[in-house]
Amino acid sequence: MAVTYAVTAVDGVAFGLLLFVVAAGLTLIFGVMGVLNLAHGSLYLAGAYIAYLLSRGNLLGLLAALAVGAVVGAGGGAGLSAVVRPLTGHLEQAVATLGIAYLAADGFSALFGATPQPADPPRLLAGSIQLGGVGYPVYRLVFIALAAGIAVGLHLAVTRTRAGVLLRATVADPVMAAATGIPTGRVQLAWMAGGGMLAVAGGVLGAPLLGPAPGVDTTVLVLCLIVVVIGGAGSIPGTLLGALLVGQVQTVGVLAAPTLAPFALVAVLIAVLAVRARTGTGVRLT
Amino acid sequence: MTTTVTAPTSAPPVTRRRSPRRGAVVAVAIVAILVAVLVPTYIYPYAAFTGRAALVLATVAMSVQLMSGTAGLSSLGQAAFLGVGGYTAVWLSRAGLDNGPLQLAAAAAAGAGAACLCAPLVLRARGVAFLMVTFAVGELAHTAASTWVPVTGGDNGLYGSYPTLWPTVPLPTSDLASYLYLLCCFLVLAGLVALVLRTRFALALRAAADHEPRLAALGHRVTGTLLAGYAMAGALAGAGGAMLFSSRISIAPSDMDFDTSALALLAAAIGGRSLVGAVIAAVGIVLVRDQLGVDTGGHAQALLGAAFLAVAYRRPVVAWVRARRSAWAVARGRR
Repeated sequence: MAVTYAVTAVDGVAFGLLLFVVAAGLTLIFGVMGVLNLAHGSLYLAGAYIAYLLSRGNLLGLLAALAVGAVVGAGGGAGLSAVVRPLTGHLEQAVATLGIAYLAADGFSALFGATPQPADPPRLLAGSIQLGGVGYPVYRLVFIALAAGIAVGLHLAVTRTRAGVLLRATVADPVMAAATGIPTGRVQLAWMAGGGMLAVAGGVLGAPLLGPAPGVDTTVLVLCLIVVVIGGAGSIPGTLLGALLVGQVQTVGVLAAPTLAPFALVAVLIAVLAVRARTGTGVRLT
Repeated sequence: MTTTVTAPTSAPPVTRRRSPRRGAVVAVAIVAILVAVLVPTYIYPYAAFTGRAALVLATVAMSVQLMSGTAGLSSLGQAAFLGVGGYTAVWLSRAGLDNGPLQLAAAAAAGAGAACLCAPLVLRARGVAFLMVTFAVGELAHTAASTWVPVTGGDNGLYGSYPTLWPTVPLPTSDLASYLYLLCCFLVLAGLVALVLRTRFALALRAAADHEPRLAALGHRVTGTLLAGYAMAGALAGAGGAMLFSSRISIAPSDMDFDTSALALLAAAIGGRSLVGAVIAAVGIVLVRDQLGVDTGGHAQALLGAAFLAVAYRRPVVAWVRARRSAWAVARGRR
């Protein structure tokens, strides 16, 4: 019994880190441009379909999928910033991204049909290893390592690099940043592209965990939004904590109390929001 | 005595004078009601099918518009209250309470209650954060509806029986009769909303959108006002759930999915500050989804996506065209 819980908790970490990679992109896009990107799930789904098309069970395919995904994600993020830039009201921005999500969903179902597509991990990583007497998929452990690497790398990039300093300056006070000579437009574009890349990379790497199917875009978008609301919009460590918490609730919570599980996320949301004052209005990137 | 003149941030000043458009709005409403009654009755019976879906979406769109058009709080999870109302109606029906208007009232009350429960979570947020939190609440309600099998019947949903118009008068089960019943429900609800929008309460909601701290400083209870508005919106969406139930005598989690919330938000966004505009938009959206979508070989989603983008770009494009036109006028004047 304890082993079952432990293994499920590891599953929860994998799922939580998957959510983190995608939600970090969402929180970046929200932080940089103040835009609620409702097409974020579509970017994940694009990544998952790229993995389905290219990875084909070998490591080289997965790397190719990652490369293509990076290009698609950067293009998606930059395109999103171009779409949203002429719009001023938050409702108009949200409606525009929603329109993109609908167009993408139509395109995906036209290209790949209405049935879920398989996306197996590379054969090299497809086996399972013994974990406390239970077989556990190697790919998930590799995924945990990769995603943890992305989390650390992202944190260092935002806090320690020049690009991160420019980003934080642009987020904190765009007008002042522009007055000191920072090319805020280019900084925004670059980090929007980064946010898109995170979502698509999450889709490519996460396809064996949460595979491509119609409707996955909404599922991912909902969970990421909950993560961002819990973590505090714009905060990357907060996003990580929120993602790990949601990952545990969605796995260990379902195992421990199947009947209460649907309400557990609501309860977590209420508890977090009750502790914190007004949410989501203060944008900070640390 | 000096008068303080303040620039309205986004809203035009609300005055009590009769606007010149009012006559046009009344005329459009009368023509729309005549069309809504006569076309399915005499000309095109199939319109009753699409009409019922349009009336339900129009009710939810009114519910979103009530808060987005006044208080500037656009909800992306209004389908949650549609579900609450729908399941209330189906359980009343299963308990033998078949009175349609009773179901409508109970569903509205349940919707308002659910909105009050969500309010502490939702009404802390403004702007984008409000969209985020309502979206999360709506989707969690959708998930709860499909997993809470004892109450909601899981993904298959629950069935009831046809509602009666009055304890002794059964409603004819034909599509047309059910459509006309929904039309009556809708007109009553729309009339109530139109009345509410003419009160001081609606002015307070508008003021909350324009300058919340000042409204609070004037001694208004802003949170209470927003709570009342949100509860009314929940009641409307709940009533929409009872209408949906009466049109099909069943309710399933798929009725409260993201599409319903998103399309209601789209209709409210098209309507902007106009309730009539939101209703017309909801009817148009259902026509695009259920008629044009079929005609184009199932590409309804692409059509709706294009509609979303068109709505988002309406204001910038109009502003651009106006700027061009005035630039041309200036250039012509110089010549």
